[in-house]
Amino acid sequence: MGIDRRAFLKVIGVGGATTALVGCGAEPPEKLIPYLIPPEELIPGMASWYATVCRECPAGCGMLVKTLEGRAIKGEGNLAHPVNQGRLCARGQASLQGLYNPDRIREPLSRDQNGHLHSISWDEAEGRVASRLADLRRKGKADRVAFLTPLLSGGLDRLIDTWLSALGSRRRLRYEPFAYEPLRTANRITFGRDAIPAYDLEGAKFLLSFGADFLETWISPVAYARGFAAMRAYQDGRIGTFFYVGPRLSLTAANADRWIPIKPGTEGFLALGMIHVILGEGLEVPLPQEERERLKSLVKPYPPERVAIRTELPEGTIFRLARAFAREKPSLALGGGVAMTGSNATSTCVAINLLNYVVGNVGKTVRFGPNVTLANLATYRDMLSLIDAMNGDKVEVLLLYSTNPLFTLPQAAGFREALRKVPLVVSFSSFLDETTAEAHLILPDHTFLESWGDYSPREGIYGLMQPVMRPLFQTKAVGDTLLSLARQSDPKIAQRFPWPSFYEYLLEQWKELQKRLEPGTPFDTFWEQALQQGGVWKEVRAEPVRLSPQVFELALKEAAFEAKAEQALYLHCYPSLIHFDGRMANRPWLQELPDPMTQIVWDNWVEIHPEAAGRLGIVEGDVVTVASPYGEVELPAHLSGGVRPDVVAIPVGQGHTAFGRYAEKRGANPMALLPSKPEPLAGSVMVLSIKVTLTRTGKRHQLVSPAGSDRQQGREIAQAMPLSQLGEHTEEDHAPKQIYPPHDHPEHRWGMAIDLNACIGCEACIVACYAENNVPVVGKERVQEGRWMAWIRIERYVEGELERPETRFLPMLCQHCDHAPCEPVCPVYATYHTPEGLNAQVYNRCVGVRYCSNNCPYKVRRFNWFEYSDPKSKQYAFPEPLNWQLNPDVTVRGKGVMEKCTFCVQRIQAAKDRGKDEGRPVRDGEIIPACAQTCPTQAIVFGDLKDPNSRVSKLARDPRRYRVLEHLNTQPAITYLKKIKQDTEQV
Amino acid sequence: MVQLSYSQINRDLLKTMSPPGRVYYTILVLDLLVLAWGIFAWGYQIRTGMGVTGLNNPVGWGVYIATFVFWIGIAHSGTLISAILFLFRVKWRNAVYRTAEAMTVFALVVAGLFPLIHIGRAWLFYWLLPYPQRGYLWINFRSPLVWDVFAVGTYLIVSSTFFFTGLVPDLAVVRDQATGWRRRIYGFLAQGWMGTDHQWRHYSRAYLFLAALATPLVISVHSIVSWDFAVSIVPGWHSTLFAPYFVAGAIHSGLAMVLTMLIPLRRIFQLETYITRDHLESIAKLLILTTLIMVYSYLTEFFIAWYGGNRFEQATFLYRAVGDYALAFWFMLVFNAIVPLLFAVREIRRSIFSLFTISILINIGMWCERFVIIVASLAHDYVPFAWRTYKPSWIEVSILAGDAALFFLMFLVFAKLLPVVSIVEVKELVPPPVKEEALQ
Repeated sequence: MGIDRRAFLKVIGVGGATTALVGCGAEPPEKLIPYLIPPEELIPGMASWYATVCRECPAGCGMLVKTLEGRAIKGEGNLAHPVNQGRLCARGQASLQGLYNPDRIREPLSRDQNGHLHSISWDEAEGRVASRLADLRRKGKADRVAFLTPLLSGGLDRLIDTWLSALGSRRRLRYEPFAYEPLRTANRITFGRDAIPAYDLEGAKFLLSFGADFLETWISPVAYARGFAAMRAYQDGRIGTFFYVGPRLSLTAANADRWIPIKPGTEGFLALGMIHVILGEGLEVPLPQEERERLKSLVKPYPPERVAIRTELPEGTIFRLARAFAREKPSLALGGGVAMTGSNATSTCVAINLLNYVVGNVGKTVRFGPNVTLANLATYRDMLSLIDAMNGDKVEVLLLYSTNPLFTLPQAAGFREALRKVPLVVSFSSFLDETTAEAHLILPDHTFLESWGDYSPREGIYGLMQPVMRPLFQTKAVGDTLLSLARQSDPKIAQRFPWPSFYEYLLEQWKELQKRLEPGTPFDTFWEQALQQGGVWKEVRAEPVRLSPQVFELALKEAAFEAKAEQALYLHCYPSLIHFDGRMANRPWLQELPDPMTQIVWDNWVEIHPEAAGRLGIVEGDVVTVASPYGEVELPAHLSGGVRPDVVAIPVGQGHTAFGRYAEKRGANPMALLPSKPEPLAGSVMVLSIKVTLTRTGKRHQLVSPAGSDRQQGREIAQAMPLSQLGEHTEEDHAPKQIYPPHDHPEHRWGMAIDLNACIGCEACIVACYAENNVPVVGKERVQEGRWMAWIRIERYVEGELERPETRFLPMLCQHCDHAPCEPVCPVYATYHTPEGLNAQVYNRCVGVRYCSNNCPYKVRRFNWFEYSDPKSKQYAFPEPLNWQLNPDVTVRGKGVMEKCTFCVQRIQAAKDRGKDEGRPVRDGEIIPACAQTCPTQAIVFGDLKDPNSRVSKLARDPRRYRVLEHLNTQPAITYLKKIKQDTEQV
Repeated sequence: MVQLSYSQINRDLLKTMSPPGRVYYTILVLDLLVLAWGIFAWGYQIRTGMGVTGLNNPVGWGVYIATFVFWIGIAHSGTLISAILFLFRVKWRNAVYRTAEAMTVFALVVAGLFPLIHIGRAWLFYWLLPYPQRGYLWINFRSPLVWDVFAVGTYLIVSSTFFFTGLVPDLAVVRDQATGWRRRIYGFLAQGWMGTDHQWRHYSRAYLFLAALATPLVISVHSIVSWDFAVSIVPGWHSTLFAPYFVAGAIHSGLAMVLTMLIPLRRIFQLETYITRDHLESIAKLLILTTLIMVYSYLTEFFIAWYGGNRFEQATFLYRAVGDYALAFWFMLVFNAIVPLLFAVREIRRSIFSLFTISILINIGMWCERFVIIVASLAHDYVPFAWRTYKPSWIEVSILAGDAALFFLMFLVFAKLLPVVSIVEVKELVPPPVKEEALQ
């Protein structure tokens, strides 16, 4: 008897189903994709894209996630989303490594008497919380439940509020470490609005930032980067001017025409001094007579000569700044970053508001509406009262969702001690961060990529989040947990929460939204549209504002600085572009991303001016004790001209004591140094309010960076040109001379143009490239050895004097030379020129002689020094489940072969296939490599150089064009456009 | 040379092949241990990846390639002494050429290992050879590395043939003295040499032709090796001077190595009568010539870097002189171009001690030269952001030691199995024996 094919399939089918049923117990059933009757929307090998919202910071950028066979493999910006318009920052790109983080909490955990965590079932975990809550309600102590969340809006926010109030508590705090309290308070004082307005960078001709690092972390960096690039674009013979006032040369400051290193805490005086000049010289917009007089008397105590002394700036600078600010209308002054968090933070922000007001920016570049949701945040003072309540035994159950106050609050605030007094701390966190590590019960939430939800970063934007894949682990959405807890509570509460799941709850919320926004549209259509485009957006009109009388009571005081010793240095702690407040320190991509300014990876440091370091006898890599009146930390010193000589700077976000293998034990957390006392008016953390002493410990610590030299040594790798020369005649390209016949490119010649005037050095491209091309993370030691694997890097060069540094950023990747030096030297043809002009690398053929790399003048080739792709190898770069993220369209390279940028050849191929299927040639702009796709300023343009009308061809003819190391006649496919230098001497 | 009879020469020179003593075995075992350690290190490197070396992103080539070039250079003097000096009928070569030739062959063997050691996927080394296979994958004849394969391969074949041909009459002498299975082996190797006039006529003709064939290789092989660098665009490599510069350097280092090997050898085997001070002095005189060529090359390199006005070249040469590898650079300059000029003084070039010391210094200097050219150029090339320095790891040091051990192992075996001085050619230097009666 033979088994025919049909019978065999039957047996297999039944057997498979039985196995699946049996497996339904503890393990989630593992489903194969039933290819026999394929689901319509799923074609193996074809990506599905899901729109969601990036929840890695409060900016709330729209995101599209590419999934293949049910696995998310790449996140990209959602082109339809008004905030980021298709772009993502480095952190957004790294969100996938949150989803696939090997240190995620995989199931509910409970702490036993000995303090050890062990796993329990969801029923048991929820049962314990429910019984505790019921117990409290019985005793009439329901108000002793506190709920701490990050900034939320929409469904989950409302659910938490209603759930908590149904229980009978109002202790709900939306906590973010950077909550912009002074800015909000200042807006209330100045305009009567407790809000953060919309800033129109694109519309400004003159931008003045008072320590607001809007290209890195301030409010909505991706959106601002886009606006900034538009403002700086060359148009009608001019580019926008940007001055940065602040104690440290941040990435934002490095993009300014001039960095003005002002004395910390005196920005407000500068603003008032400028108003003094503007009103004195009659440069202001027409103001009501009475208002003008009152303003005049307000700024009377701040004449430029006195402001000059306070701010330690030349008097002329104040005059010139004020005149330029008033002349170049509309201008825009930004304030309220961490550089402005001293004891006079609110008054400083008021002064900046007034500066915007007198030249008529309010209503033009500063618009109240659509306001930013950040205004809903709890202040630091609210957190302090929670700590008080915890200390006073008024909190018996503390629920923590996705927030890590133990790490992000000043340690002097005493959260740790207060936390120990709470009998039951429940965390919904996905990671074992510092606070969660102290919790009694952990009910892990899905990551946002596995969750339903919505988020509104500002008025009029309702971003919708949907799960892009099935939950990886035994986690449960926090909304579902709350609903389940409500069901387990007494019937009175239970009936208020009839929804079987959070999804149903969200649907109902969105039904209400639909009634409000689009009453005419059927809900199904509305919902589907929202799912497809990642949310709904509505225009919000700006509301006019008037000066509130309160503003005239402004009395700007000198900022107070606490110090242990006379000779202390100002301490400037700032959220870094890469780590923000530290919530993403467990992402290996981000740890290995060089800090845009110091270029250091995998570490934390204290930045100190060489002059101060010389005085203290500190050299690079010395471990120093940084001591404030509130505590001390040990950190390695990094010498740099990027801080004032009387300032030391420490990035926030590193120094984790928990939070997984990638985050732990990297430097120290500067929050240990900060005071507990809040700023008097706004109640914010006073970050820039202390002075610290530095003493050598005698220990040394190697700070590692992939950068060789800071200076280009006159080699003109990253070029710039003055604005005034832009209109002048540019020389023609010479016809290249060579012995070999030129390459024949019958159809396409792929090329790229990179506008150095647009590149801000944010490094989002690097992470995007890692994600797209399976680039391995190698670790600090390997980077030190020179084995960094990044295919694209941002070369940061410093020009000019230490006092007035000019920073240039240059994205460097394989130039895909037409006359590539790497090609002829390869003995086995592993690298060769494709008919489309790509410099291809055949991994299979490579034997690893490394001659190509030696002969590459751009040094963009990367050798696999170790086995990064084999799970059995000690150097395996993708520990489970990080390997789930690997792009199946790109080979994971084995040891001993050379690799490099491919211009995302897999995307080129996909676009060509698409064109072929549709019977048309590839369209210009259809192929977008990962780096170009994510670039917030759209500095990178890719296309076909054979097509004279393609964007890249046009840019390759731009008068600013040049090629790196052109004299070598490598004929790169990448054309760079020189950075434009604003003529700042006129200002 | 003192009057020696043929039989005396036979006795003296075959004495080197007498059964070895305890010292020899001790050295042999130590050498084998170092070799074993080197093999282990290589195994570890293949298993773990090239990351166990100190190589990194800009510096893709390090001590492996430096040592490869060094050994190839060493290999040159053997052919120079045996072939070129043979063609010029230079008498003093007869006593030393065997050793020099053996050195050539052994140096080529150990040099040839380095490309294998150095490639990322050593198990695929045969892909560098042109061999027919189904995929029609061919090698890239534009790559200097492929030229290398051919140059070094050719040189190895020709020099070992030359070595063996010169050995044949001596092997016959050994055969005649040997007994048992040794006699059979030497008998086979001696190819039925009987010393007949007929054989001699063919032999000398063949030897002459082989010498003529080997002579251009002295020039070509190291020229081609130098093109590994000269053909690239790396500042400090891309120079038309490289071929003559490398050939001169090769002969320079090779002669020094001959001295380094001969001086202990003649002492150990008591060959002072055959390898005399005059022989060594002749080598030293030749070294003066090569030293002057080196001086000229170094000056030219620096002059062109300055005169050429190329910013990158200038920076590279400045970096060599004052940068991270300045020590190696100054070793190179002093040991190769200044110290050997002392040979101009007769006493120095006739002092065994100073000959030996200076020869070792030249060896160090020449190795440093290759190291400086390769590493210092790569560490700081075009893009300053990518600059990074290189330091060899213990794995590299172990493999280098193992490789050197292999060289000495071959030499140790050679010294006991083959006559280290050419018996036949030494006999040419003494007057032919004449029967007593004939004299009367």
